[in-house]
Amino acid sequence: MINLDRMLGLVLLTLAVAYGWGAFNFPVAFAGPESVGPATFPKILAFIVGICSLYMLIKPDSMEEGFEFKALPELLLVLAVLVLYVFLMEPLGFILSTALMVATLCWRMGVKPSYAGMTGIVSSTLVFLLFHFGLALPLPIGPWEL
Amino acid sequence: METLSFLMDGFSTALSLENFLYALLGCFIGTLIGALPGLGPANGVAIMIPLAFTLGLPPETALIMLTSVYAGAMYGGRISSILLNIPGDEPAMMTCLDGYPMARQGKAAEALALSALASFIGSLVATIGLIFLAPILARFALSFGAAEYFALFVLAFATLGGVTGKNPVKSALAAGIGLSIATVGIDISTGTQRYTFNVLELFEGIDFIVAIVGLFAVSELLLFIEAHRGSTPRSEVKMNPLRLSFASVLQILPTSLRGGVLGFIAGVLPGAGASLGSFVSYTLEKRIVGSKGYFGEGDPRGIAAPEAGNNGAASGALVPMLTLGIPGSATTAVLLAMLVSFNITPGPLMFTQNADIVWSVIAALLLGNILLLLLNIPLVGIFVHLLSIPPRYLLPIVTMVAFVGIYAISRSAFDLCFMIAFGVMGFIFRKAEIPLVPIILGMLLGPEMEKNLRHVMQIHDGDWTMLWNSGLSIGLWCIALAGLILPVIIGPILRRRTPQVKS
Repeated sequence: MINLDRMLGLVLLTLAVAYGWGAFNFPVAFAGPESVGPATFPKILAFIVGICSLYMLIKPDSMEEGFEFKALPELLLVLAVLVLYVFLMEPLGFILSTALMVATLCWRMGVKPSYAGMTGIVSSTLVFLLFHFGLALPLPIGPWEL
Repeated sequence: METLSFLMDGFSTALSLENFLYALLGCFIGTLIGALPGLGPANGVAIMIPLAFTLGLPPETALIMLTSVYAGAMYGGRISSILLNIPGDEPAMMTCLDGYPMARQGKAAEALALSALASFIGSLVATIGLIFLAPILARFALSFGAAEYFALFVLAFATLGGVTGKNPVKSALAAGIGLSIATVGIDISTGTQRYTFNVLELFEGIDFIVAIVGLFAVSELLLFIEAHRGSTPRSEVKMNPLRLSFASVLQILPTSLRGGVLGFIAGVLPGAGASLGSFVSYTLEKRIVGSKGYFGEGDPRGIAAPEAGNNGAASGALVPMLTLGIPGSATTAVLLAMLVSFNITPGPLMFTQNADIVWSVIAALLLGNILLLLLNIPLVGIFVHLLSIPPRYLLPIVTMVAFVGIYAISRSAFDLCFMIAFGVMGFIFRKAEIPLVPIILGMLLGPEMEKNLRHVMQIHDGDWTMLWNSGLSIGLWCIALAGLILPVIIGPILRRRTPQVKS
C-alpha cells in the first residue's frame, strides 16, 4: 500500500517549490526594492513547508489506519453531490436543491430512501422559511419566482 | 477596583434582553453540540460563525452567543461520556472512567447532576481567575514591541501541538501551510499581488471563515462517509429519578475547587488545553484521595475532578486568547476568527480599545455558566433524548447548515467551492494525522506576523539579529523552543497513561 505520508510529502514539496518560485518572481513594488519586501515572508514559508514535507517523504509515520480505497467511489459521489448542489442552487431554487442534497447524503449514509427524502424536504423547507421570513434573508427561490 | 466597575458594565451589556436571549440560545446549542458525538466544540462554533454574521448581530452580541456555545459545549461533552461511554468531545475522555460505571450502577441522574455542578464550580473558579489575571497580563503585554510579538507568534505555533501532540514536524508543516494561505492576496504595505493569478475573488485573500467551516464541517462528513459507521450506539443506560444527597454534593466540593484551579492553570499555559486540564485534575485527585476512593468504579469525585478541570481550562484558555491574541485550542482559535472578522485586533490593546466587548464576554461567561447549570440539571432529559439522533441524519443537516451559512454571508458559488476544497484538504490531512488547528491559526495570525517581521526589519535596516535582541524576546524564543522539544520527550509518557478512546 502506498504510504499516505509519502504521497502527501511529495505533493506538498512540489507545492512548496512552486510557491517559493512564485515568490522570486513577484513584480517589483512601485516603492522600489526593500530589504524585507513582500517576497521575504513567502520565501521563509516555502523553506519551512519544503523542509517539513521532505522529512515526511523520507521518514513517514507508520499509519495505524490506512485509507479505505473501497470508499473512494462513495467519497467521489458525495463530492459530486456537493459541487452539483452549489451550481444547482440558483437554477433550481433553494428548497428543491437542498432537499435533494440532504436526501442523497442521508441515503448514502444508510437511511431508507423514504425517510431520507422526508428528512431532506422537511429540513430544507424549515431552513428556507426561517431565513426567508424569520431573518428576512432571501435565499434563491428558483423557477417558482413570481 | 477598576476591574469591578468594568465587569459591572459588562454585566449591564450582557443582561440586556436581546443579549440574554442569545446567551440562552447559545448555551442550549452549545450543550447539544458538546453532547452529540461526532460534532466537536470547534466544529460547532465554526458553523455558528457564519450564522452569527447572517443574523447581522453586533459584535458583542455575536461574541456573547459564541462564548455561550463554547461554555455549553464543555458541559455537553460529559453527557455522552456518562451515558454511552463515548466522549462527546476530547476533554470529556476522563469523565468516562467513573461516569459510565456510575451510570451502569443506576446512578446516571446523579452522575449528570454532580458533573454539572462540578463543571459550574470549575468554570466559576477559572472565570474569577480570568477576571484577575487577564488585565494584568494585558498591561504587561503592552510593553511588547514588534520583535517580541513575532517571537510570541512563533511561540503560539510551537506550543499549539500541545504536550500531547504527536509529530512536531507535522504541526510545523500545518503552520507553514496556514501562513502561506494567508499570504494570498494583495500585500497590504506595497500593493503587490501575491498568488492571485489575476482572479478577482483572490485579491482580498482567502476568507478564513470559509476555510474553517470547510476544514471542520465538510471534512467531518467525508470522514464519516469513508468510515461508514452505519450503526450508532444506543443508550443502554436508563435514566433514573434523581436522588441527590447533600453529603455527595459536599463530597465533590473540594474536588471541584481543586479541579477548577488546576484546569485554569492548564488552560492559561500555552499548548496545554482542556484535555490536559482534565487529565491532570483526575490523576491528582486520585492521588489525594488515595485508598479511600474507588476511582474507576464509579466514584463521584472521579467525575467531578475531570469535569471541573476541563471547564476550568476552557475559561483559562480565554486568557491568552483575549490578552495576547494567541489561542491555545481549536475552539478558541475559532473564536479568535470571529473577533478578527469583526475587525477587532486581538491582543493587549483590546482591553483598552474594546473594553466593553471584552468585559461583556467575561460577564457572559459567568452568566452562561449559571444558565448552563440551570439548563443542565432539570432539562438534562431533553439532551439525553437528542443524543439518540443518529449521525446519518445529523451530518447531512450539519452540512446543509454549513452551506447556508457561507452562502448567506457571501452569496458566491466561488466561496462554496472553496469550502468544499478545504473540506477535501481537511479530510486528507486528518487521515495523515496533520493537525488542522495550526492551519487556521496560520491564516489568522499570518498577516500580523508578517507585519511585525517587516516592521522590525524596517526599523533596524534588515538586521535579522534584532529579532532576538531583548531579554523578553529571548525568553519567548526559549519557551517556543521548549514547546517544540518537550512533546517529543513527555508526549509518549502522557499518551500511555491516558485511557484509549473508543471511536
